[in-house]
Amino acid sequence: MTAPEPFQAKDYKSDLKPIWCPGCGDFGVLQGLYRALAAIGRPPHEVAFISGIGCSSRIPGYTTAYGFNSVHGRSLPIAQGVKLANPELLVVVAGGDGDGFSIGGGHVAHAVRRNLNITYLVMDNQVYGLTKGQLSPTSPKGLQTVTSPLGSLEEPVNPLLFLLAYGAGFVAQGTPADMPGLASLIEEAIRYPGFSFVNIQSPCVTFGEDDQQLKVHKAKMKSLASLKHDPADQLRAMDLARAYGTELYTGVFYRNPNPPLPYEELIKIRQAEESKKARPRHNIIDAYLQK
Amino acid sequence: MTHAQLGLACCSAAPHIMVDDLILGMAGAGGDGVVSAGESLLSAASSEGYHAMMTKSFGSQIRGGESSCRVRLSTKKVLNPGGALDVMVALNWEDFFKFGAELPLSVDTVLIHEEKVGPPPETLAARGVVPREVLSVPISELTKKSAGSDKAKTSVVLGLLSGWFGIARDGIARGLKKKFGNKGEGLLEANEKALAAGIEYAQAHPLAQARTIAPPNGTPGSKLLCDGNDMTAAAALFAGVQFFGGYPITPSTEIMQTLTREIWKYGGTVLQCEDEIAGIGASVGASFAGKKSMTATSGPGMDLKAEILGLATIAELPLVLVDVQRGGPSTGLPTKPEQSDLFAAAFSGHGDVLRPVLAPTDVEDSFRITVEAFNIAEHYQTPVIILSDQEIAQRKEAVDRIDTTKFEILERLKPSAKELESYSRFKLTESGISPISHPGMKGGNYLGAGIEHNEKGDPTSGGVMHAKMNQKRFKKLDPLKQRADLFELHGNPTAPFAFVAWGSTAGVCREAYALAKKAGLDVKLLVPYLLWPIAEQVYGDFFASVRHGLVVELSHQGQLYRMLRMQLDVPRGVRSLARSGANPFQPAELVTRLEGLKEMPQ
Amino acid sequence: MTQQTQGIDFATLSLRDALDLAVLIEEEARDRYEELAAQLVLHRTPAAAHFFTKMMRVEEIHRKELAEQRARLFGTQPSTVRREQLFDVEAPDYDAVRMNMSHRAALLTALKSEVKAHHFFTEALRHVGSVEVRALFEELCDEEIEHQKLVKAELDKLPPPTRDEEDDFSDDEPVAQ
Repeated sequence: MTAPEPFQAKDYKSDLKPIWCPGCGDFGVLQGLYRALAAIGRPPHEVAFISGIGCSSRIPGYTTAYGFNSVHGRSLPIAQGVKLANPELLVVVAGGDGDGFSIGGGHVAHAVRRNLNITYLVMDNQVYGLTKGQLSPTSPKGLQTVTSPLGSLEEPVNPLLFLLAYGAGFVAQGTPADMPGLASLIEEAIRYPGFSFVNIQSPCVTFGEDDQQLKVHKAKMKSLASLKHDPADQLRAMDLARAYGTELYTGVFYRNPNPPLPYEELIKIRQAEESKKARPRHNIIDAYLQK
Repeated sequence: MTHAQLGLACCSAAPHIMVDDLILGMAGAGGDGVVSAGESLLSAASSEGYHAMMTKSFGSQIRGGESSCRVRLSTKKVLNPGGALDVMVALNWEDFFKFGAELPLSVDTVLIHEEKVGPPPETLAARGVVPREVLSVPISELTKKSAGSDKAKTSVVLGLLSGWFGIARDGIARGLKKKFGNKGEGLLEANEKALAAGIEYAQAHPLAQARTIAPPNGTPGSKLLCDGNDMTAAAALFAGVQFFGGYPITPSTEIMQTLTREIWKYGGTVLQCEDEIAGIGASVGASFAGKKSMTATSGPGMDLKAEILGLATIAELPLVLVDVQRGGPSTGLPTKPEQSDLFAAAFSGHGDVLRPVLAPTDVEDSFRITVEAFNIAEHYQTPVIILSDQEIAQRKEAVDRIDTTKFEILERLKPSAKELESYSRFKLTESGISPISHPGMKGGNYLGAGIEHNEKGDPTSGGVMHAKMNQKRFKKLDPLKQRADLFELHGNPTAPFAFVAWGSTAGVCREAYALAKKAGLDVKLLVPYLLWPIAEQVYGDFFASVRHGLVVELSHQGQLYRMLRMQLDVPRGVRSLARSGANPFQPAELVTRLEGLKEMPQ
Repeated sequence: MTQQTQGIDFATLSLRDALDLAVLIEEEARDRYEELAAQLVLHRTPAAAHFFTKMMRVEEIHRKELAEQRARLFGTQPSTVRREQLFDVEAPDYDAVRMNMSHRAALLTALKSEVKAHHFFTEALRHVGSVEVRALFEELCDEEIEHQKLVKAELDKLPPPTRDEEDDFSDDEPVAQ
């Protein structure tokens, strides 16, 4: 290994211009991400940035990393394939609340229980932006949208509580209203040696509710550190996470103080052990010889 | 050799026939061990150098349903499971009858049944077939007397078969040692005694017409014994598969099971995913990361994987997908073969997509077709579908050892250092193939995407670029249609009669073709391994002389026939012979049908 | 004020660090105006985009002046203040822009940012220990007032607002994908 070259935030910025609406929360997230990546310092070609479909899923294209803007809801399985194929890569997954908790909701629990060393960033805006303002899985109950003109009847998904209940080793929440704070949360998530999740409250300026905009965040956000929350306290983390939708807590809810070996490391051990039994390529077929 | 001596021993009572091909069937309740007995027979015969094939059939219960197997032994290559049985062992009638046409009897069949279930019921007579001989054997009683319990019933059956038909007695004895040797002395001894009791019974009750199988041509220990799924897995390892993502589904699961025992040895990974979509998703991810990647499924999984298949096409990522077909639609017939996924393989998913579809025809060529699928996927940067089916996938065959040194293995085209200085992932080239980078490769950074893109990989919604990219993705596969080696041709090129068959049906057609020739018909046979895209030239040349032809398929619609009609002018005299799955064709009936075309109006 | 800077102790802040901080504040504002202008260019809001581009240049001039002052006084001495320690000091907020925002709205955004910056320095002055830093911050405070006046003068030149001027939607609805 040569000494890591110093990378700056701008080294991760691509020439592609974001298509997000002016004022979108995702712009701040993107800046925070550049910063976090610069702080980590891995060269862009060693970063694989996987997303699904949605406004926020456009984000890989705005970085100089290898990106994969795949199909709706499938970023997590694809990212796991990438990481298992090449565990040396830094793998970041991003998407929206619809991508992660509606169409792709079935994948989250399994990504958590496999515990690959990847980071999942959800830009949660409580609405479908790309398709023009329909109800999302995190929309508050009663919300009137084009698909719930009389108000929604279902409870929202609580991403924080879901992830904690699934057993995720790192669960945090941030907002671009505090971009430097968000940047360091993303950095910390990436540094966590296992599956890490950051729920990012990233407002939709076009279809989002007034009380979910950045200026409200600025007034409302409360850091978990200021509450003297100990991120090793899983139960307290779950208790605090219950306030999703009412309070805007920022910071790390839970960080497993004793992270287990991630999946890809366990696999390396298995491969090393089993490789002793490998046959030469031209003799693989002989396993079926009948003697 | 032992069986030859045995054959002579049986000859005293009646004229002795020496056959080079023997088809046996067994049926019983799940738990009776008929499948296990079939496997012992297969393994014993193959270890002595016979060619052999075994197919299994079950009810869909997890345990305790009816189960059956067919074993075909031959001194020559076995082309298909065969038609009517030479020997049938029924442990009870009810289970036997459940298999209907899968276990057909003829006037040449020797029918052996458990004595205590009574003589054949009326149902058998109602089928209009009178077997040559019906032997009522007190199998349970023999087992109890010899082994002291009911557990070794299948060893008695093996003894009977060995005793009457001269099948691999040494091999069977060796097999018992292998199977029970480490399970306690008592169990092995009991089974050995049961085997001896079966042989003894057979010798004491000679057949009215003795029939034994000729000694094998092959040398002992020269045969590979496995099923199609195993062969596919081995071929994938040989081709260098590094990642498999999948979800259990009958009848493809054994591919994942075999790989997950083996792949670690070769530095790869198997990920059992949460669903079919994740299975193909993870595989596409691994391919994006630069590794040879594979997934496998059956019909219902094909439906779920359609969207990501489209992603692999537009992102130009190599991927091998094995669809082990079963009866459909929906859950359909999960444990029975059918050839009804061809449309799904070629067409499922939206948008303009050209996706190569290959089909093996038996266990042996599952190897070649799998290696070919990886080569095509990697070379052309495209998903490739292997259409196997339940019969090929789950039938076991003893085949000659495959010489793997004759196979070439292709890798995807990497960008040169010069190309990486200003890299365009989707560069519009003459061939349509652009060098492909992967994460970790400096300078190759690009955005892979399901969205349409320009040469750099940046998203676009422009019609001009979309048209160019569609053209690129289609054009790059043009050379496939020139691959004459992906077609098998038999017979006189100017023959007026013809069979076309693919997949497991091809094996039946190969035998039908031989039968028809023997009957004096000027006939030829075309077996396509490449099903899609349609190689118009190959079919056009083949059909040029054909006045009466059959495209034989195990599906209600006859999907290849319809695709041929879609792509080229199929002569009027070429008809579709199609019927739903789980109704296997017999070689003789195919000859009759082909001859019958002479009477049909053109 | 804690939200705008992290880990900076104004009581012990040296002139060198204060200058560096001032440079970074201008740099952040410059970058933000550039970002917001780019968003507006892409979304066909040329008047506001043009104004933000102008603001970007103004902030760059200020930054350069302060950087030169810093270089004169302290040469190439390493800085201890980092960009990560500040956020939204003089830079307009990320959500301050909208598609189809008017020239007036853009001016108001800039005005708000100047007020915000002025407020920041006023607050900081309450904690500043060093005399030189105090002098610098007071000067910067005055400059912000000057900037406010300039923006207000621009505002006064505009014709009276029309009723639908602040509507950020055009006749076409947002595009669904």
